[in-house]
Amino acid sequence: MLTINNLHASIRDEKQKIKQILHGVNLTVRPGEVHAIMGPNGSGKSTFANILAGRDAYQITEGVATFNSTDLLSMEPEERAAAGLFLAFQYPVEIPGVNNMYFLKAAVNSIRKQRQLPLLDAIDFLSVVKAKMKEVGMDEKFLNRAVNEGFSGGEKKRNEVLQMLMLEPRLAILDETDSGLDVDALQAVAKGVNSLRNSDRSFIVVTHYQRLLNYIVPDVVHVMMSGKIIKSGGKELALEIEEKGYSWLNSETSV
Amino acid sequence: MAQQRDIRMNDVVTSLSPLESCFEKNPHFAHIKWLCEFRSKQFKQFLTRGLPTKKEEEWKYTEIKNALIPAKMGVQTDLVCANKLAEIKAMTDVFLTFVNGHFVEALSHTASLAKEIKVCSLSQALDIDENRVKEYLTREIDGKRFPFAKLNAALMTNGVFVEIPKHIKIHQPIYLLFINTQQHNYLTCPRNLLIVNEGSQATFIEHHVNETAQHYFTNVVSEIHAANNARVDYYKLQEEGHTATHVANVFVTQKQDSCVKTYFLSDGAQLAREDLTIWQDAHDVESYLHGLYQTNRDHQHIDHHIHVDHAHARGKSTMMYKGVLDQKSRAVFNGKVHVHPSAQQIQAHQANHNLLLSSDAEINTKPALEIYADDVKCTHGATIGQLDHEALFYLRSRGVDANEAHMILTRAFAEEIYNKMDDTAIRQYMRKRMKSHDE
Repeated sequence: MLTINNLHASIRDEKQKIKQILHGVNLTVRPGEVHAIMGPNGSGKSTFANILAGRDAYQITEGVATFNSTDLLSMEPEERAAAGLFLAFQYPVEIPGVNNMYFLKAAVNSIRKQRQLPLLDAIDFLSVVKAKMKEVGMDEKFLNRAVNEGFSGGEKKRNEVLQMLMLEPRLAILDETDSGLDVDALQAVAKGVNSLRNSDRSFIVVTHYQRLLNYIVPDVVHVMMSGKIIKSGGKELALEIEEKGYSWLNSETSV
Repeated sequence: MAQQRDIRMNDVVTSLSPLESCFEKNPHFAHIKWLCEFRSKQFKQFLTRGLPTKKEEEWKYTEIKNALIPAKMGVQTDLVCANKLAEIKAMTDVFLTFVNGHFVEALSHTASLAKEIKVCSLSQALDIDENRVKEYLTREIDGKRFPFAKLNAALMTNGVFVEIPKHIKIHQPIYLLFINTQQHNYLTCPRNLLIVNEGSQATFIEHHVNETAQHYFTNVVSEIHAANNARVDYYKLQEEGHTATHVANVFVTQKQDSCVKTYFLSDGAQLAREDLTIWQDAHDVESYLHGLYQTNRDHQHIDHHIHVDHAHARGKSTMMYKGVLDQKSRAVFNGKVHVHPSAQQIQAHQANHNLLLSSDAEINTKPALEIYADDVKCTHGATIGQLDHEALFYLRSRGVDANEAHMILTRAFAEEIYNKMDDTAIRQYMRKRMKSHDE
């Protein structure tokens, strides 16, 4: 599904200084797998997630990313979405003046158009979206509000999951979707993800904490530090990190 | 020194001579003696004052001398504008149509209104009650500040006269349609008088649009009088031809406890200047002023000048103007709130927000407060920005292509103005009209 080879990326800071963030990431995600990426603050996890979705703030200096046998890095963000890639944002953007329902419908139909599927009309769309909202525990009133505007942290994350359920991606990347959530919201998010899990669909779950992984059980856990994946293992690796923190890994790799 | 003055006088004479020929060949209202005399006087005053130049503060960014100054007035032509009228009829059955400045009764309809409500052309109103019209028409206009209102007084051909008697609420909008068609290089000077008496309520939509004409000059004056407790909603929709010039002066006088809401939507013409002057002539008056301007062609220029006079206590005013600028175009916003010494407990808010879609577009914005009273609450602010990069990426990451994402965000920016429109049908109509340009 997704193969990343030796990915290097940098960003230009406010002073136009180039700062290297990713130092050669390698990752292979097969259909049906759930991968967790853990790591301390500033290790490059979010940068990695955003680069996969096509954010243009970064410069790719080296490496290859292949998504379903096409060159991911040469695609526009909307082409990646149509190809089935989805990023749940760490900080979902508030868009005043754009109605949430209008936005969801525009997104669904843009993707259907790119995939040459018939567009959903207003009535079909509404019945689908209402059912999905129930699944993530969102009140229908959020349909008529502006996208994420004035939503609480939990409501924003539920809205991300709602979009994921509507767009039915082949690879979903969750960028710290668990941060700032209470237990109810966390369970709602996990329920949304688990309802989509099947043998064709893959997930990359970026998180600081093991907590979310109690609900979304990963097949593989990776640890990213200083822009590299330094250790990979089974779900028990997450428990080990929860217990010992990250510093022991540092000393382990530097030995 | 003397030589310099001579040169300037020569300039004025050359640029104004076409207007003299407009004045001489204007046969309208020749049978009304006081009106002819009034007009001659106005024209002389205009000639003495001359066209405004960029040296004047109020015209600093708007070069009127580059505009077309036509040597003839518009002529009435046969016109079929079924599409436009059908859209209007879907919303209201009270409408007056003017073609190239001339009233066309066959394309107008006011029969559904009660007899005592006067909605007719200015010339009809003069026939019915000359003195009533005279009272308003001969009001002295400051020619230094409003040279084009002077010119309009001198050259007016016709216009709308509305008088709503006391305590009548009209829920249907009164639609004033000004269409320009089939001619070039001509001038129209519509003059509208909209009088809403005590305790009454009315909504006006003044719409300037072109059918086949491109190159012409509209110089319109609309006067709104809101008596005690009156409520007036006024929409002005400017969709003139691409090389046309549009100059408008809207004067609003408000009496005690009246409330006026204005909405200026402007995206036509090559050069447009919209002056709105609010005179709060009693205490406890509310004025809510909104504007949306969109420039999307090279060398297009839209200028809004708003002046609010808070002359009495407990007045409220808000100004909310937004602009979307694209290509090598320019817009000017100049909003001034003047609080007189005796006007205590005033609340005045001004905001002007601009979205620049191209690096060649230019905005000159100047919200200003002039306060001579001490117990007031006034705020003002202006912003200039670009589309939110984060929001663009968010939309695109959900599959929306770059062009559509731009369009969605641009509309979202404008949406705030539409949301201020109380009437749902009008809001939808305006949204659709302004949209049809960027599609």
